[in-house]
Amino acid sequence: MKGTILVVDDSAMMRKIVLRTLKMAEVEFEQVLEAGDGTEALTHLRANKVDLIMCDINMPVMGGLELLVKIKEEGLAAGVPIVMVTTEGSEPQVRQAILSGARGYIRKPFTLDHIKNNVKPLLVA
Amino acid sequence: MPETMLATRSFLNQEFLSQESVDRADESVFEVFARMLGLPVEVVSPPELTPGVDEERTAIVGYSGAMRGSCEVQMNRGAATAIASAMLGGGPVEDEASLDDAVGEICNMIAGGWKDRVPALSSLCALSPPTVITGRSYKVHMSTPSIKLQRCYRFAGQHLFLTLRREDMGPS
Repeated sequence: MKGTILVVDDSAMMRKIVLRTLKMAEVEFEQVLEAGDGTEALTHLRANKVDLIMCDINMPVMGGLELLVKIKEEGLAAGVPIVMVTTEGSEPQVRQAILSGARGYIRKPFTLDHIKNNVKPLLVA
Repeated sequence: MPETMLATRSFLNQEFLSQESVDRADESVFEVFARMLGLPVEVVSPPELTPGVDEERTAIVGYSGAMRGSCEVQMNRGAATAIASAMLGGGPVEDEASLDDAVGEICNMIAGGWKDRVPALSSLCALSPPTVITGRSYKVHMSTPSIKLQRCYRFAGQHLFLTLRREDMGPS
């Protein structure tokens, strides 16, 4: 698939797992950008056009929910699907993420099917 | 004290050390191993440890909000290597940063899984990012005495020790 994906997670291991699982789900991008927190993600988004964002919530410096607000405030990544991938699976967190612009929500630990079912439809639409 | 706080406190005091709580811990561990590692895991009695023989790693995730406490996952280097390798699909992983990262993420997912299985905590309790400590000589300090729930698991010939700890709020 042409285009660019941005994976945001403070765990380098988890970023690798997300990318490997996307590849297994036949979702691959030409360019991969990685960020360890929300501020690094904003730096990438100000300089690059991306086609999919996979984002953790619970991160140091700037978490995923704050990143969603900043993205909206700065008008970055308009129309780009954002999928939250996180251990925080409570209903208020999900609701807040969706209200702030996330299009999908995957709870860790996830399976290949979770990635397929939550990410692929967003890329087809 | 508000009624909702009393209800939460009452639940925690009665349930934290219950069999249901233990079952939730086991379910969380089994789920993480099945989904992220593809490794079978079982509950076992803790083996006797030989101090100084093998370096230990401990990951700690803090709970705040409706419950103040921590989830601690402890294992030796062999176990951390097995987990990191499984997380990345079987390739060798030896660098210390990746091993710390893997143990921290396992702890994070177990901590979140247990919390989400407790209805009174799910949306009222937050997790801290994981901290990883190397070595056996450490002590968790809390502002009040704590009570703990401990389990030991075996996978791929290795052991994982889980400790769930919460501040003791006294009798309900």
